[in-house]
Formats: sequence, structure tokens, C-alpha cells
Amino acid sequence: MSRFIRLYEKKRGDRRTGSKAFGNLGEALFFGFFFVIGCAAFAFMFWMLLWPEWRANRQFAETTATIEDRTLGVGAASGDSGPTYRPEFRIRYTIDGKTYTQDKVYAVTGIYSDDKQIAQATVDSFQVGQEYPCWYDPINPERVVLVRGYSGWLYLFLLIPLSFIVIGAGGLIYTLLRWNTSAERQAVLTQRAAKLDLFDLDRANREYPTVPADVNVTNSPGTTLAYRLPMVASTGWTLFAVALACVFWNGIIAIFVTMAIRSIARGEPDWFLVVFVTPFVAIGVSLVVYFVREVLVHTGVGPTRLEISAHPLAPGECYDAYLSQAGRLTMNSLEVWLACEEKATYRQGTDTRTETRQVYLERCFVREGFEIHQGLPFESRCQVRVPEQAMHSFRADHNEVRWKLVVKGSVAGWPDYSREFQIVVNPNDGHDQA
Amino acid sequence: MNSSPLRLQLDDPPAVYQPGNMLTGQFCLEGVTPADIRAVEVSVLWNTEGKGEQDMSVHYFERIEPQNGDPVDFRQPQRFRTVLPNSPLSYDGLIVKINWLVRVRVFLARGKEIVSEAPFWLGTVPRASEVAP
Repeated sequence: MSRFIRLYEKKRGDRRTGSKAFGNLGEALFFGFFFVIGCAAFAFMFWMLLWPEWRANRQFAETTATIEDRTLGVGAASGDSGPTYRPEFRIRYTIDGKTYTQDKVYAVTGIYSDDKQIAQATVDSFQVGQEYPCWYDPINPERVVLVRGYSGWLYLFLLIPLSFIVIGAGGLIYTLLRWNTSAERQAVLTQRAAKLDLFDLDRANREYPTVPADVNVTNSPGTTLAYRLPMVASTGWTLFAVALACVFWNGIIAIFVTMAIRSIARGEPDWFLVVFVTPFVAIGVSLVVYFVREVLVHTGVGPTRLEISAHPLAPGECYDAYLSQAGRLTMNSLEVWLACEEKATYRQGTDTRTETRQVYLERCFVREGFEIHQGLPFESRCQVRVPEQAMHSFRADHNEVRWKLVVKGSVAGWPDYSREFQIVVNPNDGHDQA
Repeated sequence: MNSSPLRLQLDDPPAVYQPGNMLTGQFCLEGVTPADIRAVEVSVLWNTEGKGEQDMSVHYFERIEPQNGDPVDFRQPQRFRTVLPNSPLSYDGLIVKINWLVRVRVFLARGKEIVSEAPFWLGTVPRASEVAP
């Protein structure tokens, strides 16, 4: 067997340590288990619920029966739910001259319910000695019911086996498609599926594959230049996240601080608790300081606007950039930087980690020692030029090369701030450099 | 010292390919009985290397299988050709590297495989170096 399915392979460059065939077998068994359980449960429900009810409603023939006895049937208790109940009748009816007597007759499914009152009310609604319509199975006249209809909400339970079937079948098909399929062929199949873009949103990517689309950049026209660049992170969300962390952390710490203060007030200080909670209080205070700093930066500095003359950028070309900084500020300095960074995402255990490294940084603009007055934003222009040989913007699932313009401000008496604006750089054609 | 029965080579490979260039080459398989070959796949692809999980995308793909049970004679050179795309360009970064290569994968009986690769460089992006933030 080991010739065909190796349980373990040596570690290779693609970081695979397990046997591919064994992994596929495991996946197939996993999804197969789901599929079989789903099918079995569905078959059971079909046989016990769907099929009998359908036949009773569509194929059973109507006749008249006399009630000979009526009782409240009690089912076995299951778990903590207590006993279950159903109406049960003994009836007598005649088919083709032959008289039948059947006991424990009511609905075709014979399902018990935990609602005793409803079951009892149903029992009481039939009078012994009276005649009522009933429906019998023409194939087996001994099978008879006093009511027809469908069990409504019970059909919702079908979603459980159906979800098992869908998950199991989907996983099985996926596993079988990958079985003995090379990584390249799998990639081709995935790419073909990804190209089934109904709205043709990926048109730009066809000319420059893996270069991110610049839709978010070019959908906002500028007031001075062609495009107003969007900021990478919304200040509102940043503030909200910091505030949430601040409230959450300090809310929990407040409980322990209260306990420590009460112990001191009682004259029985719990020094262990005091020492234990001190570093957590320090972190809480740091969070508050950071939150206040962010509030100061975002509310006091005022909006930063950056516009560019064309987009996406091409290496070696010069572009005009327009900078606008609002607020009422005494600026030590205001700078615009062109930066490029690599971003890699990887898993370590159950964590997904991201690492970034900066590979290009150039200052495009600097202005030092000036005032910005309320209602009169600072405005200036500068030139942005991506180096001729620079790497283009690149985005894959786990790896990225991204370009951005960064506005850095140093304000007298305020914390420094930094705001980033994403840009896209296309590849250099490079035909003249071969 | 190369004992692989699979020979893969690019035609007069330049130092650097440029986007839009035609990439051509051939491969042949020696010392393997044609009947033992289930299929051969030729791919021109890029993949990433470095700190992050590996990404890969196939630009050109061809799978050759016996037609109507008649084995293909892979002892005769099998040619492939494709026009290279505009991106991504080859890149030797700090934590992200992008490699272009031609890969030929031969599927033999009993699940065995033979793989041969011919890397090449697309574009003229110089090696990256770190800058202080």
C-alpha cells in the first residue's frame, strides 16, 4: 500500500510535509462521512414523513369510519423533555364488503408531540360511536388515517440532512477533482472559474494581470487635478476601534481596581490584587492616552486632501500632485513621501500574520515652519515620479507590492500624524532595455 | 550528473524576456516506455517565494494525453510557445519574490511523476533593498 499512498513526505520548498495522496484520502473520507450521514438521515425522513404524507394526500381513498374507542397515547420520555402524546382511535370501516378494525389510528406519520393539551383536544373532538370520514390505502386497506395534510414546520428539519448532503457532496466533488491533479491544472481551473465575471469588473486586470484595479482611486474626481486619492484607512473607523478597545479593556480593569480600592478602604488591603492589577492599569492608561492622542490628531488637524494628475502611474513618468491641509495649525513641517512596501501574509499555527518591508521611500515635498489658518487650508503642488526600473504594484492572495503616497505632519504642541493614500503603479514596458 | 529522462530547454533564451516577447522551447522524454506515460503537462507560470504563503498563477497550460489509446512518442521533441504577459514582472524583493518558469510534468503509471523546470526572467526590475521607514 505504501507504494501507492505514502503517509508522510519530506519537507519541501512548498512547505508540504504530509502525503498529498493521504491528505486527499482523508478529505474524501471526511466529506464522504458527511454525505453518507446526510443521505441516511434524508432517506429516513423521506420514508417516515414525506412519502407517507404524500401518499395519504394524493393516493389514499376516502370512506367512512365509526369511532369505537379514543385514547390519549403516551410516548416514551426522551431526555429532559418528559413524556410525549398523540391522539389514538380505534375505528371500524368497510371496504368492498369487508369490515376492518384498526387501533391507534390518527395521522399517517404517527408522530408524538410534547403538547398534551393539543393532543387531548384532538381526542375530545371525536365522539365514540359517531361516523367520520377516513382515508385508506388502496394497496393495503388496513392502513388508514383520520386526518390528512402536511406536517408544515417538520419539513424544516429536512434542511439538516440536506445541508449535510450539500457540504459532503461539494467537498467530495472538490476532492475528487483535485485527486491526482497537478497544482498547475488546479490553478488553471481556478483561474477559468475566476474569469467567469458577469459584470466584467476584471477588464483592467487582463492587460496587466496581478496589478490591482484602480477603480477606487479614479472614481473620485479632484477639484484641482484629475483624481482625488482615497485615504488608506478611514479616520472614523480608527477612532472607533481605539475607543472600543479602550472601553473594553478599562471596563474589565475597573472591576479589579474597585475591588482593590475597597479592600484598602476596609483597612484590609489585598496587596496581591494591587500588585497584580497594576500593570493592567498601566496598559489601560496607555490606551486612554493613545485614544486622546488620536482624537486630537483627527479632530484638530483637519482633513488632508491629495490629488494627482493621472492614474495609474507609469514608472519614469512625472505626475503633478496637489496637497491640501486644513485646520488651525502651527506646522513644524509638512511632507509628502512616495513609498513602496512589500507585504506578505502567512500562517503560523492557527494565526494569520502579516509582515511588511519598505523597499522604496522618497520625499516629494517638504515645507517647514508655517501657519495654517482656520478656513484657509494650506495648498501646494509637487511632482511625483516613480523610478523607471521600479517594481509595479502587485497583488496576489498572500503577497503584495504596494505603492502609496504618505503625508506626514509635525504640528507644534500636537502629536505627529501620518496619512496614507494608495496608488497603483503599472509595469514598465521596458522594451528598450532588453 | 543530470539523470532525469526529461529534457526541457528554451530556444536561445535571452538574458531577460520582456512582456509581449514570444517564449518558445521544447522538451523530450528518453528512456521511458511510451505506454507508461499517462499524460504530460506543460505550464508557463509564475509563483511567489519568500515570507508569505506561496501564490501561483498559470499563464500557459497544455495537457497532452494519448489519443484513442495511442501513446504519444515523447522521444520526439515536443514544442511549446506562448506570448508572455505584461505582468507580473520577475521580482527579487526582500520578503516577496516572483519567479517565472516553464514546468513540464510527466505522469507515469502507478502515480509516479517526473518534473522539470526552466526558470526565466521577465522584465528588468532590479533587486530590492530595504530602506529605513
